[in-house]
Amino acid sequence: MKLLCCPVNGLRPVSEFAYGGEVRAMPDPATCSDDQWADHVFNRSGIPGVKIEWWYHLPSGVWFHAERDVVADRVLRTWMPGEEAAP
Amino acid sequence: MTTRLPPVDGEWIDRKKSLGFRFEGGDFTGFAGDTPASALWAAGVRTLGRSFKYHRPRGLLSAANHDVNAMVQWGQKLNTRADVEALVDGMVLDAINTQGGVASDRLRILNSLGRFLPVGFYYKAFHRPKALAAFWERVFRRLTGLGRLDFSTPHIRTPKRYDYADVLVVGAGPSGLSAALAAARTGAQVVVVDENARIGGSLVYQRGGAAATLDRLRALEVELRAMPNVSLRPATLAAGWYTDHWVPLIDATRMTKLRARAVVVAGGVFEQPAVFRGNDVPGVMLASAAQRLVYRHAVKPMNTAVALVGNADGYRAVLDLLAAGVTVAAVVDLRPAGEPGPFGGAVRDHGVRVLAGHGVYEAVAEGDRLAAALVCPLDAAGNAVTGKVTRIPCDGLVMSVGWAPAAAMLYQAGTRMRFDPVTQQFVPERLGDGIFAAGRVNGVHDIEARFLDGTRAGLEAARHAGRTVEGPMPVVPAETVAPSHPWPFVSHPSGKDFVDFDEDLQTKDFANAVQEGFDNIELLKRYSTVGMGPSQGKHSNMNAIRILAKLRGMQPGEVGTTTARPFFHPVPLSHLAGRGFHPHRETPFHPRHVALGAKWMQAGIWLRPEYYEVAGESREACIRAEVRAVRSGVGLIDVGTLGKLELRGPDAAKFLERVYVGKFAGLKPGMTRYGVMVDESGVVIDDGVIARLSDEHFYFTTTTTGSATVYRELQRLNAEWNMEIGIVNATGAFAALNLAGPHSRAVLGRLTSVDLTHAAFPYLGLRETEVAGAPVRLMRVGFVGETGYEIHVPAEYALHVWDAIMEAGRAEGIRPFGVEAQRMLRLEKGHIIVGQDTDGLTTPDEAALEWAVKMDKPFFVGQRSLAILKKRGPRQKLVGFALEPGASVVPKECHLVIIDGAIKGRVTSIGFSEALGHHVGLALVAPDITAEGTALPIRVDNAYAAARVVPLPFYDPAGDRQKLPD
Amino acid sequence: MPFQLLRFALSSKHPEPRMFRTPERLKGSYDAVIIGAGGHGLAAAYYLARDHGMRNVAVLEKGYIGGGNTGRNTTIIRSNYLTPEGVAFYDQSVRLWQDLATDFDLNLFYSTRGHFTLAHTDSAVRTMRWRAEVNKHLGVDSELVGPEAVKAACPQIDLSCGGNAPILGALYHAPGAIARHDAVAWGYGRGADQRGVEIHQQTEVLGIDIVGGRVQGVKTSKGYISTPRVLSAVAGFTPRITHMVGLRTPIYVHPLQAMVTEPMKPWLDPILVSGSLHIYVSQSARGELVMGASLDPYELHSTRSSLDFVEGLAAHMLDMFPFLSHAKVNRQWAGMADMTPDFAPVMGTTPVEGFYLDAGWGTWGFKATPVCGMTMAHTVATGRDHDLIGAFNLSRFARYELTGEKGAASVGH
Repeated sequence: MKLLCCPVNGLRPVSEFAYGGEVRAMPDPATCSDDQWADHVFNRSGIPGVKIEWWYHLPSGVWFHAERDVVADRVLRTWMPGEEAAP
Repeated sequence: MTTRLPPVDGEWIDRKKSLGFRFEGGDFTGFAGDTPASALWAAGVRTLGRSFKYHRPRGLLSAANHDVNAMVQWGQKLNTRADVEALVDGMVLDAINTQGGVASDRLRILNSLGRFLPVGFYYKAFHRPKALAAFWERVFRRLTGLGRLDFSTPHIRTPKRYDYADVLVVGAGPSGLSAALAAARTGAQVVVVDENARIGGSLVYQRGGAAATLDRLRALEVELRAMPNVSLRPATLAAGWYTDHWVPLIDATRMTKLRARAVVVAGGVFEQPAVFRGNDVPGVMLASAAQRLVYRHAVKPMNTAVALVGNADGYRAVLDLLAAGVTVAAVVDLRPAGEPGPFGGAVRDHGVRVLAGHGVYEAVAEGDRLAAALVCPLDAAGNAVTGKVTRIPCDGLVMSVGWAPAAAMLYQAGTRMRFDPVTQQFVPERLGDGIFAAGRVNGVHDIEARFLDGTRAGLEAARHAGRTVEGPMPVVPAETVAPSHPWPFVSHPSGKDFVDFDEDLQTKDFANAVQEGFDNIELLKRYSTVGMGPSQGKHSNMNAIRILAKLRGMQPGEVGTTTARPFFHPVPLSHLAGRGFHPHRETPFHPRHVALGAKWMQAGIWLRPEYYEVAGESREACIRAEVRAVRSGVGLIDVGTLGKLELRGPDAAKFLERVYVGKFAGLKPGMTRYGVMVDESGVVIDDGVIARLSDEHFYFTTTTTGSATVYRELQRLNAEWNMEIGIVNATGAFAALNLAGPHSRAVLGRLTSVDLTHAAFPYLGLRETEVAGAPVRLMRVGFVGETGYEIHVPAEYALHVWDAIMEAGRAEGIRPFGVEAQRMLRLEKGHIIVGQDTDGLTTPDEAALEWAVKMDKPFFVGQRSLAILKKRGPRQKLVGFALEPGASVVPKECHLVIIDGAIKGRVTSIGFSEALGHHVGLALVAPDITAEGTALPIRVDNAYAAARVVPLPFYDPAGDRQKLPD
Repeated sequence: MPFQLLRFALSSKHPEPRMFRTPERLKGSYDAVIIGAGGHGLAAAYYLARDHGMRNVAVLEKGYIGGGNTGRNTTIIRSNYLTPEGVAFYDQSVRLWQDLATDFDLNLFYSTRGHFTLAHTDSAVRTMRWRAEVNKHLGVDSELVGPEAVKAACPQIDLSCGGNAPILGALYHAPGAIARHDAVAWGYGRGADQRGVEIHQQTEVLGIDIVGGRVQGVKTSKGYISTPRVLSAVAGFTPRITHMVGLRTPIYVHPLQAMVTEPMKPWLDPILVSGSLHIYVSQSARGELVMGASLDPYELHSTRSSLDFVEGLAAHMLDMFPFLSHAKVNRQWAGMADMTPDFAPVMGTTPVEGFYLDAGWGTWGFKATPVCGMTMAHTVATGRDHDLIGAFNLSRFARYELTGEKGAASVGH
């Protein structure tokens, strides 16, 4: 089973985590067009590569960001939202 | 007749423990340490099973856990591998997949029909005429399959274990043990596993007639057993490799999941069969199988042997046979120059005839057992010179022509392999992170080099695991002679030269498949099914690659290999399943529900009382009585499965306004308000009651099944928005009850000091107070349509409060009610249940909740989508409907509204309203049929229920029940 | 014994020709290029050539024929969907399936076994009734049945599932079937090849040339080809191809795993599916139990296997079939599923002129192979969406017109 490093709880098996999808910026709902909004709601970047994602440590309730290669399934680093990513 | 040898040094059998067993109705004995196959072989039995397709007699091939043709039914254990299963006293065994027993299998007729059944024959027939296809399918289903299930087999629960190693070594042969020793000397925690009953690998049985390898093994074992940081685990299979070095270790009783920092794969090689006519006749076996019989089980594999060899290992095997007293009639060496190394000379010194540049043209059977080998010279192209065939009588034929790496774990760990022309073997080219290969799987065959290679791999693995490794790494000399023959085939016009013994595939099957265009290894595998049997190609894939390479004029490396997926050997479902956990949650009131006869239903992860059973009453009668109690008296329901969240902080109200469609900034402390949550696309996902305890402190509920996901998403939004709030999931911390009915106020009044009058505690009010001395949050709610109070109490007071309320309500005939009664009560009020009266596309507008949506806010999740959807207009609308009293056709939930042949909606809720005297329900219908009085024909089987749209709520539309006099 | 087998015995050489040729090199231009030689792509090629006379067609495959999800799925065929558009579409597919072996003159082992979707909760019973009612209304053979009907079709089952998840009922779909998945791709491949379509294996698409919003050509690992029409039928690789034409879609990729036991004597006749226990299982013509579960929980463009998958599935299998304790799992594998938000495919025309999508097939693409080929061939040949796939156009998301399959998928209470 894969291991994932929670910034608070350290290295834990992936079964303790929930995936929260890619971190995405929301367009300004007040100024964007209907099409831009629908694009935000429904469309995703499904292309393989290194992505920044939301992950959640279930037992402790910690949300954090992980930079992950979604082809090799390798987590490059994890950090708390708002904090700088560890090098 | 027994062919048991006098005691052999290092033998695995215990001659003091004699074991009796049955095979195919006959009685046999063996020793502890035997396998069924070794004991049967010692007793002279040669046909151990029948092949899958042609039902040919088959004997022992590998004695290494890929003798799929020697599978037996052992009581409830189907597909037991007779070549490796430990013999047990009293075993009753039968060969699988025969009709009438292994000796006289009626299906052996298929062997003579082989000409009709070439590769892929089943794709070319049996589908025409269409009318007969089903008949043929039934025929196939009778013939197919291997072992038989016993449906009385119990559910076996095998607890799992967890383990850790700095270095996991897979394979306890010379390289594996050397790796373990080297790693352990650095201080690493080392676990060594080997699927065989004892450690030692080829040191046990590839002796070349001498004792040296056994002595080396004993020395290594002594040293390793003395080390506290080494765990030696024979009879343990490393079944696969998973991400981050997570390896399931399978033994007879359980699965141990081991996490390693580094893994050394030293699983060695599989010996590969030569391919010639009759290479499956009982008595023809891999040389290593004969060596295993001799040294593990002290069984003389044959009296007179012919050895077909293509490498030095074959000569070593001949020396082992000679040491066991076998007469070796001839060594048939595929190589024109024979064996240049020292074993060649040693064999000749024994006076054994060596026929270099020869092959076996055919193995001849008499009465289902080997009688002779037809041997002939090979021409320069490797073809048989059939004019010069010599018949050599023999009862055994050993094949030693090459090896294929046991590289499955390497593949699973992302290793790239390349074909090495020197050793004629696939070897690792680029290993995955933390994975190391040692010994023959790494292309290192020389015995001294294997010890060195193991040491090297062990040190590298220890270093990867963080240990300090000093000094230079051992340098492993390169191989110079191929241990595998590049073309171990002698063709015969009549075939029956088997490449895959699981699937009964012959050389010509491959040629034919390639002729049909299946000319890359993956397509060839799928069309011919090579390697798809239970042994997963361990003895067939390499020869298939060689055939394909030859047919296409390529090198094996260009052909490539297929992917090796878990498992290495098949693993029982009971090992994988473990104990089988089904967690569920119980509320603190659980014991009271049990005492009251609750009938349970699942609500997400929770168990909830569906209703309380009263002796002699039907389910429906019980539910109606519960409804009646609430409508006319007082009832009590456990609502503690609702999600319960605490929200505090200066931004609390602002946060709620961003996640719910409604407004909460203006909600006064001491009041509650209904809230609806939608997702980003505007679909209703949850609802609940939001209570304001103080300016910066809210307490709110979610649906039972939504609580975990809602809480999680709210946390995520807060992590994103970074507002000044904190959220805590108090679902388990609070128990919750709804006390409802016209007498609820009277009952509650006996237990609390709070003023319950309308003026002091209005509908939707909230009080933090005490009930029966326990601290509670008390909310006036109306979900079931009567005066009612939700009482949220810390879980530790739950039973006390329950008991106090039940006692206080005794005079009014208080009655606990379950989920079904609550569903009916809320339906009469037209209150929706999210997920039942809405679906995955329902917007608030469609669910008749538009009143709860406040678009004049700066932002809330889904707001922009709702604005877009507003322009589109609703696709459906939730309406109330009623049936006539006494209606004979009564729909159920999800029956369809059908008008003019078109689906116009569906029932989402329905029930018989005792208060109204007829059925009422909710339906999601097309927007054009929502007007009051519209007929809604609802199809029930072949009839239609005559429903009409009526306004909501059905019961107490003016809300008078909330205004009953104090 | 069928007479077809006689010719094998009567001829000294294997009498079968190549099923598909291996063209030497790509031509400079084609009337249409299909990316992906799985069942869907080959079926589209087949119907393009057979029904629309379009034979100057290349099918490009970076691996080998049928090597993607065609060869990795658990081969269940059914049409008991929830929405009228879904039912009509899959029902057409089932009809095509039933004649396919005759069309191809190839035995596809199409086996009608009956399909039970088990309900373990009252909300699941409601959803099953919903499906059954929609199906019946549209003429598809489905009905809500009680536990006793499940028991009758599979007498060995433990209806209480070990007491943990009692079976309350099931949606029974009599036409539910399984088939030999590889043979489907081979049959379409052979039929397309016979009609002049070129199948280029080991040929990877590196880019798609768009000028003025129109498809001009395709860059491949074996050179450039010009073409006015490109159909993408690549399952889990869809986002890579749509990226090449600058198209954004809702498609995301998760692995879907499966496993198979050693062969055993046949005992399980129907196909059983349990949403609550995350199981689907059938017994193959070889006697193996072929089993799947739910989608992996996070995005991954890989076919790696996981141990938790087999552990979970094994535990649930024993709840339903305790007597399988000694049966052994032989092999596990995975495919890459391209998922959509509404559990329906993305098919047809796109904003890029000449670029067509057959995608978003998630975990249910195999059953639609024939009808996808037929409708996509029509779409590619005419430039207009076939009537059966209008509801599946990519544009539905911008219009907030998601298909109703999402409705039931989210009714979980």
